[in-house]
Amino acid sequence: MIIAAVLCLILGITCGQLFFLPKTVEFFSQVADYALILLMFSVGISVGENKLLFRKMQEYNVRVLVIPIGIVIGSLLGGIAGSIALQMPLRESLCISAGMGWYSLSGVLLTDLIGAEIGTIAFLSNILREILTFLLIPVLAKYLNGYTAIAPAGATSSDTSLSILMKYTDEEVAMMAVINGVLCTSFIPILINFLYGFFGA
Amino acid sequence: MGPISILIFLLIGMVIGWKCFPEKWNKLNINIQLASTLVLIFSMGVSLGSRPGFIHELANMGLRSFVFAALAITGSILVVYPLTRKYLVGMKLKECDEE
Repeated sequence: MIIAAVLCLILGITCGQLFFLPKTVEFFSQVADYALILLMFSVGISVGENKLLFRKMQEYNVRVLVIPIGIVIGSLLGGIAGSIALQMPLRESLCISAGMGWYSLSGVLLTDLIGAEIGTIAFLSNILREILTFLLIPVLAKYLNGYTAIAPAGATSSDTSLSILMKYTDEEVAMMAVINGVLCTSFIPILINFLYGFFGA
Repeated sequence: MGPISILIFLLIGMVIGWKCFPEKWNKLNINIQLASTLVLIFSMGVSLGSRPGFIHELANMGLRSFVFAALAITGSILVVYPLTRKYLVGMKLKECDEE
């Protein structure tokens, strides 16, 4: 998926830079709005129809929130540090780090809300987060603990990072990873919109 | 499109998924997610590529992206590790119900 995403981005950049007229660029901006609505609706269905997951969440009680809440807080602290280190506005930095690995949504949402530059940084930083996660999971599982290996994965812990988490941890961590991924996936659009509105006011 | 409308569509989808979405359409739903994601990324690329001076900005954006990725990962690990030590490690999750 990462390869397909990067190829699509490169193709889009090439078309935008060399071939498309301003009218066509405007057309794709409208297409992106409809595609975003469709994606949100479809992701909502995926989250809602996962009844086994809801049962497991009840079974595991409130401790199931420890990892996703830790990831949200940690990512936002990273965003604050990024804002200071790169001297960027706090709102933009927090929104970028709130992507938690979901590069497609955070990139497009921030392109829509703030602009193409911040959207691109969100896209690239969250793709990099996913790639770095693949390298970090074995190390974290070995030297810290299996649950901590979910931390870098963020929202990807229920899909692209899951196979690596299963390889280097155990079934219980894998179940927590799935729950964490679904919860982070649900949080991200809410969190980005909240941060954008709260710090923009 | 406003930020609130995005959340409304997410919530409508959740309710439909919870109440009445047929299981046989799951694969179609996953394919819709994949297709819409790729269309979104392509559209984002078009928007980026159409900006004058984009190529010159790319190196600078790459560096900032790496810094954000590294800091978000570091922050997540630093917060999650002590929490897992306190609440999860050494305790089988299923035993939590029995407390």
